[in-house]
Amino acid sequence: MKKFGGSFAVTALVTAMSVSGIAQAGVTDKDIMQDQMTVEDVVSNGLGPRGQRYSPLDMINTDTVQDMRPVWAFSFGGEKQRGQESQPMVKDGVMYVTASYSRVFAVDTRTGDELWEYNARLPDGIMPCCDVINRGVALYGDLVIFGTLDAKLVALDAKTGKVKWKKKVADYKEGYSITAAPIVVDGKIITGVSGGEFGIVGKVEAYDATTGKILWTRPTVEGHMGYIWKDGKKVENGISGGKAGETWPGDLWKSGGAATWLGGTYDPDTKSLFIGTGNPAPWNSHMRPGDNLFSSSRLAIDPDTGKIKWHFQTTPHDGWDYDGVNELISFDYKEGGKTVKAAATADRNGYMYVLNRTNGDYIRGFPFVDEITWAKGLDKQGRPIYNESIRPGNPTASEDGKKGSSVRAVPAFLGGKNWMPMGFSQDTGLFYVPSNEWAMDIWNEPTAYKKGAAYLGAGFTIKPMNDSHIGVLKAMDPKTGKEVWRYQNYAPLWGGVLATAGNLVFIGTPEGYLKGFDAKTGELKYEFNTGSGIVGSPITWKQDGEQFLSIVSGWGGAVPLWGGEVAKRVKHLNQGGSVWTFKLPKS
Amino acid sequence: MVRLIFLTLLVAASIVRAADPDPLQSPMWDYTREQFIGSAPYRFDERIVVSLPAFAENPTQVPLQIDATVLAGDIERIIVWADLNPIQHIFTYFPHPDVIPKISLRFKVQQGTAVRAAVLTQSGVWHVGSAYLDAAGGGCTTPSTGNASPYWESHLGETRSRAFPLSSEEGIRFKFKVIHPMDTGLADAIPEFYIQQVILRNSREENLARLELSQPVAENPVISFDLKDDLSARAGEYLLWMRDNNGNEFEKAL
Repeated sequence: MKKFGGSFAVTALVTAMSVSGIAQAGVTDKDIMQDQMTVEDVVSNGLGPRGQRYSPLDMINTDTVQDMRPVWAFSFGGEKQRGQESQPMVKDGVMYVTASYSRVFAVDTRTGDELWEYNARLPDGIMPCCDVINRGVALYGDLVIFGTLDAKLVALDAKTGKVKWKKKVADYKEGYSITAAPIVVDGKIITGVSGGEFGIVGKVEAYDATTGKILWTRPTVEGHMGYIWKDGKKVENGISGGKAGETWPGDLWKSGGAATWLGGTYDPDTKSLFIGTGNPAPWNSHMRPGDNLFSSSRLAIDPDTGKIKWHFQTTPHDGWDYDGVNELISFDYKEGGKTVKAAATADRNGYMYVLNRTNGDYIRGFPFVDEITWAKGLDKQGRPIYNESIRPGNPTASEDGKKGSSVRAVPAFLGGKNWMPMGFSQDTGLFYVPSNEWAMDIWNEPTAYKKGAAYLGAGFTIKPMNDSHIGVLKAMDPKTGKEVWRYQNYAPLWGGVLATAGNLVFIGTPEGYLKGFDAKTGELKYEFNTGSGIVGSPITWKQDGEQFLSIVSGWGGAVPLWGGEVAKRVKHLNQGGSVWTFKLPKS
Repeated sequence: MVRLIFLTLLVAASIVRAADPDPLQSPMWDYTREQFIGSAPYRFDERIVVSLPAFAENPTQVPLQIDATVLAGDIERIIVWADLNPIQHIFTYFPHPDVIPKISLRFKVQQGTAVRAAVLTQSGVWHVGSAYLDAAGGGCTTPSTGNASPYWESHLGETRSRAFPLSSEEGIRFKFKVIHPMDTGLADAIPEFYIQQVILRNSREENLARLELSQPVAENPVISFDLKDDLSARAGEYLLWMRDNNGNEFEKAL
């Protein structure tokens, strides 16, 4: 009997090993690069490394979407219902989704049953500027990797949720945190950092996705040395921008901000990481005359070496908190019979830019919001032509030296577009930009850098501009800069977009609705109230022959924290924290 | 296959029937036995000494000592649990044949409960020692004191250790204290955060003692191992390694 039992156990073990052997191939580099066209899974942030948020699925389309209904909803539970800005991932029947306070959940995509959850134990001293959100995981091999509010990268076993490795990216006590989804390129996990309001120095770092060993680090403020690890040894890899002091006065570059808080995208054609950088620190621009590189820029970075290939600065010498973090989305278009390798981005500053993604050259730029006051336009290189009267006054020029003159600037500091990613439809050739129309009063104050303390030197208050709406979803033609259609929303939009081959564009609203629009006309085709405000990004995938769509619901993010007069429009919105999954009924 | 399961059930059933009733008559004995021992043969063994205070003055820091020296050299592992804790498992100890299987630590108790130490011998039989702990309770659902102060955030994993000779036996005792909140996840809005693995290695990289801890181990764990060794000859040759459920690793030469 014992012998029989023994051999049975061995057989069972071998079977188990071979089954898990197949599953353990997990997510490969190829899966990630081809994610956009492989509709059975979602293994990258943005449904493909370029971040187009476009799916070729068309079972749910303008004719059928009216019948779409929820099949399950999953609650994150706990008493931590804060902003839920996550984009879920799906692989082999499991959804991996993050929640507020650095939590990760694995959910059965067929039933909505929880498989495991991981709750990072965060120190009380974390300093996220704008709610305790997280924007999603990266998948690689059998690992689920995400960044925490105390600025660590954590790799979890996709099967169990147990920690496989953990690395400190930066010191949370200095004001660093991580909220963006990391991205994977050729086995490297790439992350940025948040903390631009605390005078940190932004950086991009690459780690071996399997082991967590650091590979390179690239500071995003001019003057700081980059490093690369060769055979385990840390080697100098060139100062960002060549040398210190070119575009910054004095020592200000040492606490220059330029936080890479929204992560980035990757273009396999040009082998470039596209990473955006945040505002220069402090907000008071009179303390730092100069362009303040590489703040408020898009950087093209070589994923192998961490070297900056080119940069495009949208707001040189920013004085309005116009971060340049927004996603740069690669796309091709035809012009005069030639294919243009382009990339587009819609900036906090109210302008949308189309760049040549091979070299960063400016092709064209145009406003995507109704009013811009801080600049009169863009010059031939895409540099803003400042309206100097709309730069907040220098406090040292004031009578008591404590407060500079206040100005009304548009867009407000939360931007014509904030973090919420836009989408690009390969069918219509249009970008769908979630934007907001708001203004601010802003003034400057003296300030000094102190480690771990807010480093702003500015006061501000945000105001709506229209009684009917703040949020506007706009269909923009990147070839002409023309608006094709718009949808106006009472509350500000704060969630991402999904475009599909079903001629649909989906977005969630703070009022709780998942809305679906005709991609060509903007006609509202679908809406469903998820019970709490949506500030996450939808995904879609195919399973068992049916098209599924999921979105995270849970009101929060920066709007309720920095709301000013805008708060009136959102204060009645209730918090939540759940994933909703939809499909068409079986005929 | 069917026959195999049938036989297993039959064998297990006969052992259970033959076994003594729970000396502490705990209502959870059948459940916890099933959970930790399964259907393996077991017997209650008074020689496995579970030492506890009569009453848990502080339910978040209850001293506990397990002494299984009577089975020294024959031990595969020792599982220790509290029947009526919301998380029953306290720790599992894998002693090297060369160490004295005697261990002390502190744990959290939720209410008066039987505490068990089940020792699995090489022959596959479990020897179960038991003791009853009286407690006013609440130890597992109280936030850790670390939660009220940020001290742990900058001192996480800091370890202090001491070694001293044993009076009655040939050997030494290693005692260490590590700063860690050991949050159970049962207090409101505080996720579980606790050391899961503790390994004591000698200079030959052998695991002398391996511990798997669960959430009920007390905040800032104080753990002592007894080793057959000579203090003067061995000082500084041991390495303590720990890892928590958040993936933080701590190492200290003792």
